[in-house]
Amino acid sequence: MVSYLKRFNWLMFAAMLVLIAVGTTAIWSAGNARAETVFHGMWKNNLATAAVGLVIYLTLSIVDYRKILDWLSTPAYAVAIVMLVLVLLVGSTVYGGRRWLWFFQPSEISKLCVICFLANVAERLRGFGGFCLAGLIIGVPAFLILLEPDLGTTLTLVPATLLMLFVARVWRRGLLTIFAVGAVGAMVVLGAVYEAEKPGASAERRERILRILPLKEHQIRRVKVFLFPEEDLMGAGYNLRQAKISIGSGGFSGKGIGKGETNHLKYLPQAISMNDFIFCVYAEETGFVGSLVLLALFGMLVIPGAWVATTSADGRGRLLALGISTLIFAHVYVNIAMSIGLVPITGLPLPFISSGRTFLVTVMAGLGLIQSVSIHGKETR
Amino acid sequence: MKREASVVSDLSCWATMAVFAIGLIVLAVRLKEVQVDGAADYNYENARQSVRRIQTAGMRGRILDRNGEILAANRHSLSIVCHPEFFQKRTWEATTEAIAQAIGKTGEEIGLSSPIDERLIRRHVNQSLAMPLVVWRDVSEGVLARFLERQYRLDGFSVVETEERVYPQGSLAAHVIGFVGRDFVSSEAGDTRFNFSDRELRGRSGIEIYYDSYLRGCPGERQLLVDARGFAIRERTVTEAGRGPDLRLTLDIGIQRAVERQLVGEKGACVVLDPRDGSVLACASAPTYNLMDFVPVLSQDLYESLAKNPAKPLLNRACGGVYAPGSTFKPLTALAGLSVGFPPDDEYYCSGLFTYGTMKLRCSSRWGHGPVSMRSALAKSCNPYFCNMSVDIGTNAIVRMAREFGLGSRTGIDFGADSAGVVPDAEWKQRVYGERWYPGDLPQMSIGQGMLLASPLQMARVAGALGTGYLVTPHFRAGQAVVRKRLEIPSGDWAIVREGLRMVVNGGTGKRGGEGIRVPVSGKTGTAEVGVGEKKRKNTWFIAYAPSENPTVAVAMVIENGQSGGGTTAPKVAEILKVVF
Repeated sequence: MVSYLKRFNWLMFAAMLVLIAVGTTAIWSAGNARAETVFHGMWKNNLATAAVGLVIYLTLSIVDYRKILDWLSTPAYAVAIVMLVLVLLVGSTVYGGRRWLWFFQPSEISKLCVICFLANVAERLRGFGGFCLAGLIIGVPAFLILLEPDLGTTLTLVPATLLMLFVARVWRRGLLTIFAVGAVGAMVVLGAVYEAEKPGASAERRERILRILPLKEHQIRRVKVFLFPEEDLMGAGYNLRQAKISIGSGGFSGKGIGKGETNHLKYLPQAISMNDFIFCVYAEETGFVGSLVLLALFGMLVIPGAWVATTSADGRGRLLALGISTLIFAHVYVNIAMSIGLVPITGLPLPFISSGRTFLVTVMAGLGLIQSVSIHGKETR
Repeated sequence: MKREASVVSDLSCWATMAVFAIGLIVLAVRLKEVQVDGAADYNYENARQSVRRIQTAGMRGRILDRNGEILAANRHSLSIVCHPEFFQKRTWEATTEAIAQAIGKTGEEIGLSSPIDERLIRRHVNQSLAMPLVVWRDVSEGVLARFLERQYRLDGFSVVETEERVYPQGSLAAHVIGFVGRDFVSSEAGDTRFNFSDRELRGRSGIEIYYDSYLRGCPGERQLLVDARGFAIRERTVTEAGRGPDLRLTLDIGIQRAVERQLVGEKGACVVLDPRDGSVLACASAPTYNLMDFVPVLSQDLYESLAKNPAKPLLNRACGGVYAPGSTFKPLTALAGLSVGFPPDDEYYCSGLFTYGTMKLRCSSRWGHGPVSMRSALAKSCNPYFCNMSVDIGTNAIVRMAREFGLGSRTGIDFGADSAGVVPDAEWKQRVYGERWYPGDLPQMSIGQGMLLASPLQMARVAGALGTGYLVTPHFRAGQAVVRKRLEIPSGDWAIVREGLRMVVNGGTGKRGGEGIRVPVSGKTGTAEVGVGEKKRKNTWFIAYAPSENPTVAVAMVIENGQSGGGTTAPKVAEILKVVF
């Protein structure tokens, strides 16, 4: 027991608890700004979910992750695939995406399932064949999630899993090729949208270029807003502009908790102020100081997470810790970066801060697994 | 403890940590750009989209007479307004409907019908959503009481206070005071800082317009915080609107009342000046109108009946009306004669008729005045004497003297609409009528007829100048610096003319102008014939100054369609002078 407490990563645990508190406050503020009274009590909801998450967290941290990987990772992966198929068939649609299965979002849980499964098997995937198998393991759920559509989730799952394959030395030549293709692809998409949408481009030319791109109209719009943020401020660029005004007008020390003007005056898009844009609510109220505190808290979560990997004696533990840390980091980075115009806007939640029960539980479960690696990783069997 | 062999190297773990750290630092750097460097810009953007600035109207200053009696003031007017933010619906159309319904319901509660239709509401929703919509303006106390009783269930309505002009003296000095309308609070040109402006009282005529910028209150500023849809959330006052200063006039409502009493039922005008400094003590035009009919708004019907009335009540005859001065011009003709050396004591035999070429001019005395000198010609208002003299002295001398006394040009009074009148000469006639100057034009002008035109204001000034030797610039605002011009006329000439003018009242044509007055009065009558044949009418004048030595009051009055200056107008002036002295 003493060694258990000793190996428990208290820094990560503390950072997590503070983040839950911060998130609950932000949800309280964002929810109060909504006209619908049902959102006013969302912060209590968040606390209750966090309590459930904490039970799962502690349970997973006590249990040796190896047992979990041995016994649960494969069935969990299978269940995840089934759920992802089910949600496409019978899920309910919210804000243009078919993401909800009854009371939860399968895509959020599936991310953790895919990482666990990959951590379990990655070391055994060797050569071209292993590479292809890995492609299937990641590709099938990623594709199903993309079909919902949920680009944001795909965008965080893919980097996390690719990193796992890379550190697990799964046919690196192929991986590097994929990185290269991905980078070139991104450049081509950006370049093409730039050419098509740049001021003075003819409509015909725009039509011709955009027809070739495998992107949906709303995705092209987001890329365009990313490239030309000053255009169409009342239309497609409205969200980004309001996000920047919220964050920027927070200034150095913020307007005070619960006093975010752009949020309470509903300039910030209400539909997503509690979820994808909650960082804006937080940053407006707490200012640059608050932003730095939040980044530091996330740093205290993901960097120790990766450090736990170095303490682990076996590769599966290392992969698990790295994969989960990277997933969380990807969420943090993309979510904050999109609201300040560093990456195109895409819908994905900010861990602990956004209101979303499935995601909160998923992230806490993931962190519980990292704790398990921290506690049990040094043991050899 | 021996490490299990792992394909996952320590290096990859450390590299991953480094990536995390770099990523977070990138975010921090970018956040500093947005939140620290960009704070001012984004704060401005935030204010621009969420703050509406409103320029508010200040109270208009009052207008007082010289003794502080109120001629124009303000009263509070209460209006019931509707706040659109209480009726937010998903669509603008539904919002408009909800507002219309609420207005209807409130109207039933307070017993008034809705004065605005849906089109107006829609326009308000489109254009000034953040502002309250004024529904019932200037409600009565009864309505207000009913509203306040039920206010607890009339959400979204409230009472706002505005000011309305009041003219406690009614029609007194109506043409001088003028009236007001409403306009948006103006700001300096190109000032686009304000999203909305209140409407404030703005002068439309008379003193109200001439001293508009003086009387106008100092605008204040209110700010409304609006939400993303444009509904008002809360408001605050940034600067209180200031009250405009009071304007004290030189008018004396006692004298003004006396003047207007004399003009009741007449068409005409009268101006009373202090010839020492140019203050206008009274200035009236008849017929007149009640200023209270002009506030808060003049009804269309009333306006049309005033505008179409053949008696032209809207015309300010005192300053803007021009008349042939008739015989009241004769003192100037006399001074013109003296200025070129015409002997004043030489007698001229008046036969009752003056013939010049083919022209025949009758004298007021049918059988003639017999032998007259300059003094007696003034006293008896003998036409042939002056006609005869004019032929001797020529046009230029008379024109020069008329202009010396300010005729033919505006007086420079602090009032928008005063007429210059006309002092005709050959060049003028050629330009305006395209005709040459006939010999007959000169004797006509010498007795104030023909093309010569002057306003009562100008003639009051002439009367004052005859008494004091100084031509003053008249003014309405009290406390102004005296502007006056010394007339270059030898004292001997003054003596002769003043003696003549004293004789007018002392047994001459204007003897009724001095009856019952404690001080000696000097003056001159005038009976100007206008029109021909059927339309022939007489405008009767009396100009006077009193006391005869060192006068303190100068008067000019004209009555349209009178009998004679001495019979019609002089007694009226006497009544006025009785009030003054």
